Amino acid sequence: MDGLCCGPGYASPSEAVRAPREKLLYTIAIYTGTGIQKPDYLATIDVNPESQNYSQVIHRLEMPGIGDELHHMGWNACSSCHGDEKMTRKYLLVPGVRSNNIYVIDTATNPHAPSLHKVVDGAKIKSETNLSGPHTVHCLGSEIIISFLGDAKGEAPGGYLHLNKEFEIVGRWENSMGDVPFSYDFWYQPRHNVMVSSEWAAPNTFMPGFDLEEVGHLKYGRRLHIWDFEKKKPIETIYLGEDGLIPLEVKFMHDPNSSHGFCGAALSANVIHFWKSKDGKWEWEKIIDIDNEPHPDWPIPIPGVMSALLVSMDDKYLYINNWLHGDMRQYNISDPHNPVLTGQIWMGGLLGKAPIVNGVKVAGGPQMYQLSLDGKRMYVTTSLFSTWDNQFYPEIRTEGGVMVMIDCDVVNGGMKINKDFILDFGKEPNGPSRCHESRYPGGDCTSDIWL
Amino acid sequence: MNKITIANRNNTIFRVKGTKPLLSELRSQGLDLPYGCQYGGCITCAAKLINGEVDQRSQVALNNRQINNGYVILCVARAKTDCTFEIGVESHDNLYRNPFIDPLAPHELKADIAISKDNN
Repeated sequence: MDGLCCGPGYASPSEAVRAPREKLLYTIAIYTGTGIQKPDYLATIDVNPESQNYSQVIHRLEMPGIGDELHHMGWNACSSCHGDEKMTRKYLLVPGVRSNNIYVIDTATNPHAPSLHKVVDGAKIKSETNLSGPHTVHCLGSEIIISFLGDAKGEAPGGYLHLNKEFEIVGRWENSMGDVPFSYDFWYQPRHNVMVSSEWAAPNTFMPGFDLEEVGHLKYGRRLHIWDFEKKKPIETIYLGEDGLIPLEVKFMHDPNSSHGFCGAALSANVIHFWKSKDGKWEWEKIIDIDNEPHPDWPIPIPGVMSALLVSMDDKYLYINNWLHGDMRQYNISDPHNPVLTGQIWMGGLLGKAPIVNGVKVAGGPQMYQLSLDGKRMYVTTSLFSTWDNQFYPEIRTEGGVMVMIDCDVVNGGMKINKDFILDFGKEPNGPSRCHESRYPGGDCTSDIWL
Repeated sequence: MNKITIANRNNTIFRVKGTKPLLSELRSQGLDLPYGCQYGGCITCAAKLINGEVDQRSQVALNNRQINNGYVILCVARAKTDCTFEIGVESHDNLYRNPFIDPLAPHELKADIAISKDNN
């Protein structure tokens, strides 16, 4: 449905870049931790500028209960099974970090009004696999793996849940966690038989909120892990130390032949670049280092908190955010060893550079973002995690989250806030909610992998 | 049976047996409460104990400062005496703090890493 032939996705990243423009966006919105006793929901957003509902939420699919904290999500299928005509990109898998439930949402029967297809029960996942705190969802050919940050009691290191294409629990995906102390995000690159995983913390550490002292007590991560993807076990640890405090999102280049990838270390506010050298050894370097910024009310300068990172489908640009500073940046990574800053915008943040965007007061800072397949439009939301929001941006409780659209110049570089698009989740019918991750029905820059 | 008074819900009174955690007992009697993980790890259901005594030994979410400020994790806590609580996010005024502006002292960390005040 979203490619020219065969199964889901696209034959190559360059074909994906030429896909039709997105018309709908699915975005998670939460009430967990806000004081509003309503379920979290999946919002369908009209992003077709020809539509009379442009820049509005046109449907809300509520989860069955409260308190899930929906966070990240992923597709049942992506370009990794483009050759399988029996597969379709039909279902979004949406985990609840706190409830442990995995919601399987049918987005194909009516793309404008997705419906709940199945719930993989969180208690069953705990009892059968001893996992809790689900995070990243990747399809794996026709099957699915999901990283979990903890065991059933919320202690690290967690592991990986394997679901089959009927969304039944197969068991644990990995054969061994080796000496991996923490889990978080992962990305795989099959032609190099590699998966790279990063480290946040145990659910019992990060879920209640952030205590800086716990970083010093080694309760937060500072390593990347190289996995033998076929053998499903970690084979090498990259110790990042102070340069890599709280390494969160991991992305490889989309070119399946490339071994270059990136990780954003949130607390150090550094981008770590890793790659396989000619003699087959995994190397790493710090390529971007965001300085902490002074603030009159803070005893120490504010770290950027680089909580996410995204590579454009053509592998030309790397995007990063600084959630506490309030800026989004675009770097040209044609030479991944030497990124060149080509664009920057401000929205919200603690530095007061852009408290209001398109007439809406921005509580929070740029946090999650999704880029169109052609690389020209980026949709950015402002909430990180309910308890962390409540610590750094308490006003988000009454003001809600915001979605902003950025026009990205893919030829010369550059970013500009689009003046015609703004979505104020502070005005949702049940009260202010917080928007988080977004996905396009046709696939996106943070899901599709090529075999 | 212990008497549970909810101060910020017009002092509504509930009676609990103490056989199940407070979240479950109070919800089954119709009190609308926030919750998340339901095993004491995520802080979403925290309430402030104004007076009384609870057993919340199995909670792992609170640091010692939050405990000293009276916070209780309702999904695992059981009442040992009559108690008065404030519930919901209105009670969270001292639950969340900016960790850079207002750091914790060593004795205020979570129980597993806290250093006794006497040893400081």
